[in-house]
Amino acid sequence: MRGPNNAASSSTSKGGGAMAAFKQDLLRNLLLGLRARTAEAACPFDAMSLQERKRAVKCSADVAMAAAAPRRASATGGRARWPKAILAAAAAASSSSHSPSGTCKVRKSACKCKRVARRRVDAKRIRGYAAASCDVARRLVRRRTMALRKVIPGGNAAMDDAALLRETMDYVVHLRAQVDVLRRISAAVQISTSLRDPSQSMAQL
Amino acid sequence: MSSGRSSSRGNISEDEINELISKLQALLPSSRRRGSGQASTTKLLKETCSYIKSLHREVDDLSDRLSDLMSTMDHNSPGAEIIRSILRS
Repeated sequence: MRGPNNAASSSTSKGGGAMAAFKQDLLRNLLLGLRARTAEAACPFDAMSLQERKRAVKCSADVAMAAAAPRRASATGGRARWPKAILAAAAAASSSSHSPSGTCKVRKSACKCKRVARRRVDAKRIRGYAAASCDVARRLVRRRTMALRKVIPGGNAAMDDAALLRETMDYVVHLRAQVDVLRRISAAVQISTSLRDPSQSMAQL
Repeated sequence: MSSGRSSSRGNISEDEINELISKLQALLPSSRRRGSGQASTTKLLKETCSYIKSLHREVDDLSDRLSDLMSTMDHNSPGAEIIRSILRS
């Protein structure tokens, strides 16, 4: 298991060069967000219930990812939509709670758009390219495409299927990086916690 | 369903969609195991959905673990401080 020294420096995933910068930004944003939440006087971290805490950390991770996403998306060739969708959802959620600082600090530097422009839905569907052009195949593809839109942030917005595929690729690549960063930060925190308490680290050996 | 319509950006060719689909296939974990055989579009879309959902679950689990760890630390977060100092160097 790697120690904290490697948390920021290595980039082992495919396309590591570009993603390394994203991971560093994500890490930085995440620390900012978590720090803001733990320092929040109105709703301190420890006063939250377990569920609220978990939701807060998850939200911080998603906001950190969305804010760290590059403005000029690599895979899409245009601008990816999922970061804005995440930030919009997080803002809507935090406006109903009393601790918006964690979201706002990070979001201020990232998202200027308040509204997603809605265009007419263009029906450029994926036809069953690998299957015969029968209705069943088309219906299956359609169902799968709808399911995909549900898991991609902002996937339900008006976009044709080609754009959806590009969006999916961009999102998957960044999602994987988010998982990687979270893994490393968990490991680093775990190690640093055990370092402070020598008896714990002895037990781990 | 949609054969008559064309978007304002012009028609998207089958080739473009096929290319996107094969690029997507390359991202999925199964592509490393089975080699780059041609999978059906529906299977690929389904696998992509499952993959994204499993990544979401992983993020959830890691966030849970992180929030547990954080609750055992005091507010100064020495662990975070260590990481920040690494970022600075």
